[in-house]
Amino acid sequence: MDKIIKFLIEIGKLKKMPRRGWVIRDIKNPETIAEHIFRAALMAWVLAESKGKNFNVGKLIKIALVHDLCEVYAGDITPYDSILPRDKEKRRELLKTWPRFSEEEKKRLADEKYKKERVGLEKLIKDLQPKLRNEMRSLWLDYEKGLSREGRFFKHTDRIESFLQATEYWRINKNLPQNPFWVQARELHDDPVLLEFINQIDKEFHKKLKSRA
Amino acid sequence: MGLTSKVPAANIETTQKGMYNAIINRVNIMDGKTFYLTKEKLRGLQREYDELVEFERRKSLGEEAPKILESEDLNPEFVSFQEDVGFLRSRIDELRNILDHHEVIKNPAKDQQNVVGLGARVKIEVDGQKDEFTLVGTLEANPALGKISNESPVGRALLGHKAGDEVVVSSPIKTIYKIKSIKYEIS
Repeated sequence: MDKIIKFLIEIGKLKKMPRRGWVIRDIKNPETIAEHIFRAALMAWVLAESKGKNFNVGKLIKIALVHDLCEVYAGDITPYDSILPRDKEKRRELLKTWPRFSEEEKKRLADEKYKKERVGLEKLIKDLQPKLRNEMRSLWLDYEKGLSREGRFFKHTDRIESFLQATEYWRINKNLPQNPFWVQARELHDDPVLLEFINQIDKEFHKKLKSRA
Repeated sequence: MGLTSKVPAANIETTQKGMYNAIINRVNIMDGKTFYLTKEKLRGLQREYDELVEFERRKSLGEEAPKILESEDLNPEFVSFQEDVGFLRSRIDELRNILDHHEVIKNPAKDQQNVVGLGARVKIEVDGQKDEFTLVGTLEANPALGKISNESPVGRALLGHKAGDEVVVSSPIKTIYKIKSIKYEIS
């Protein structure tokens, strides 16, 4: 039982860990990793059910719950980290665009992130009973490598939760650049249900703005 | 999501006008999806399928796992699958479905290799920065590694265009993708 308590205390740290993507953008009181996990899990469930995806919803929600646990030790890694200037003005400029890298850099950054997170996950689950440990590892690998329809769907839902959060922050602070989030969304997502959902977010946040103007 | 783009085309067997729309229609109409795969990816999936089926067979007989499955570097998922029959069976079913509904991406005819289609490596300039994409099917898409799905808004918009074209993807923010060059390197 003490090992379960230790695991729960460790993952509880995610309730206080702000997401780095918002920290580097100077968002006040940014959402935590646990808050992101909470809404991403519900988003995946609700979207899958409402659009008749015929998924294993239990598995989908478990993937959501597990996907960022590794960040207790690995931290939250953003695509900007390797090129982020210290100078605030330069940083603001950089954050106006989606970062681009050479093929070699893309591979190196992806490998480094994967290894760091894998080590973080293993450290976190090492004392759990084997069945649970293996299930958590399998769920995380499913998410990372897109091994099932549920894993692939959640990989996209995860990004769309961040996209929705960015849009919500933008509604409060119009100085928050939206461009990188839209560029990423249009290059990344290809699931019709999720593309439709992005259109709805656009309508909800931008069309209302236009109609008020 | 608004796309400002010319009528796109694609190359599966050959690049022909209307082929792209036929592909998209088929993908949308079919409940079971068609998976467009490079030969390399197909080989990998077929190998994984064979190994997992063999692994499952041996496991059911109480035999030892084949040597290759013991290397976590090669197949990290297998370590977990060894303990979890549900995951193993689910992955085998997933692979079978993909292998039953796949189509291999092939190079287009030489005179069509100046047009963006599936399998094309496209050098672009966007927001003043250079980048390079490979147009792939959904299963191989990984934008972090420069692999863009042919069903994503940007993938769809690029299809059918030539070097020198400017492809505009809009709503609500306009982004211009300038195509610098197109190459096909499918093995």
